[in-house]
Amino acid sequence: MKVKVWGARGSVPAPGPEMNRYGGNTSCVQVTLASGEELILDAGTGIRTLGLGLAERPTISILLTHLHLDHIQGLMFFPPCFRSDAAITIWGPASPEASLEDRIARYISAPLSPVEVRELPCSISFSDTPATEWEIGGATIRAEAVTHRGPTLGYRITEGETSLCYIPDHEPALGAPLASLEPEWISGFDLARDADLLIHDCQYTDKEYPEHIGWGHSAVGDTIAFAKRVSARRLLLFHHDPLHTDEFLDGLHGEARVRWEGLGGDGAAVVAAMEGSELTVEGSADAGGVLLRTAGTNPGAEVSTAG
Amino acid sequence: MTENGAQKPLELILARNLLTSISTPAILVDSDARLLFYNEAAGALLGRSFEESGQMTAQEWTGAFGPLGDERNPVPVEELPLTTVLREGRPGHGTYCIRSTNGEEHTIEASAFPLVGPNDEESGAMVLWWTRSGDGADGG
Repeated sequence: MKVKVWGARGSVPAPGPEMNRYGGNTSCVQVTLASGEELILDAGTGIRTLGLGLAERPTISILLTHLHLDHIQGLMFFPPCFRSDAAITIWGPASPEASLEDRIARYISAPLSPVEVRELPCSISFSDTPATEWEIGGATIRAEAVTHRGPTLGYRITEGETSLCYIPDHEPALGAPLASLEPEWISGFDLARDADLLIHDCQYTDKEYPEHIGWGHSAVGDTIAFAKRVSARRLLLFHHDPLHTDEFLDGLHGEARVRWEGLGGDGAAVVAAMEGSELTVEGSADAGGVLLRTAGTNPGAEVSTAG
Repeated sequence: MTENGAQKPLELILARNLLTSISTPAILVDSDARLLFYNEAAGALLGRSFEESGQMTAQEWTGAFGPLGDERNPVPVEELPLTTVLREGRPGHGTYCIRSTNGEEHTIEASAFPLVGPNDEESGAMVLWWTRSGDGADGG
């Protein structure tokens, strides 16, 4: 399973020279399965650039965790949406309020958009994620509701012995200390349990978090605690706060590695998501260990280790 | 149905988090009326913290704490309004007598409302208690 980060920023795009290394685009991750099938996790602004390279891939599955703007903003600028030969399926959380299509159409409609969903030339369909697992391209997909504001999902993608868990917006420690909670009471626990790679919210420092309790995001201490509780083999810190510069994120990443080591883990297993970085994830049964190779410009992300 | 030890649905996780954050005595049950959690304020009325009690089947918790009928015997689970709340998915309210582990009895008003998950699945119910004035307990 190959993973490429096209946007790791949270809340709002954050372009600027001080953000160049980690990038300013909002949430979007491309997952390429062994079958060649492409899955796109979220449609933040990073999906625009991703779409430019999908000219030969007319069948696209987009898995949305939720419909906050930083996870759908790029959809209207996703080049395949404007190609008549493209078939796009968008999966997302159900809501008793309105259908997935109608909720997305609130963004892709006047006055926010010059086009309407019905005017898009591609073949596009919308599906609520089922309560049970389903398959795309030979991989098993599982979606579960997690703690965030509004209906929000996390995803687990399992292909053979390899598993990836994606929970970009998550506040599992809301009102509950993660260290002492039983696993059954931890949001997202089953979804992330023993994942070869966990991509998880790490928006705040522990010092910033008290000002943002209930906003639906994690402090680095809770991210590390959650990853440890679920026995994730590797952790990709994600959904960077738009105020956090490259220099700041270097520091946050370093702190996360030290804290992971303090819990008995290998510091190299913790990486801060960087726009453009590519990872190969292999399950332990395939390689005698968990391999995570990261190609990016983040010095701390250059790892190739057996777990 | 929520089995002990299985991952709880998010609505129950959030309900428990809410209960830990309020001083109104409250309990949380699953769709089988199994007692999943009660908060510190409810523990003060029951004479035992949840950490001491742990999860209990409906028969266990009604046998231990009530509510009590006219003869001061526990009301059978099947006759509890809470069972109706869970069965019919409607809120319920009533006045009851419960007994703490030290034998003290408290008259409470209880409001129960069902918790329904995003797939319209009944996950359980939250029950909030109000102690009658003059009861002497430190309830909500």
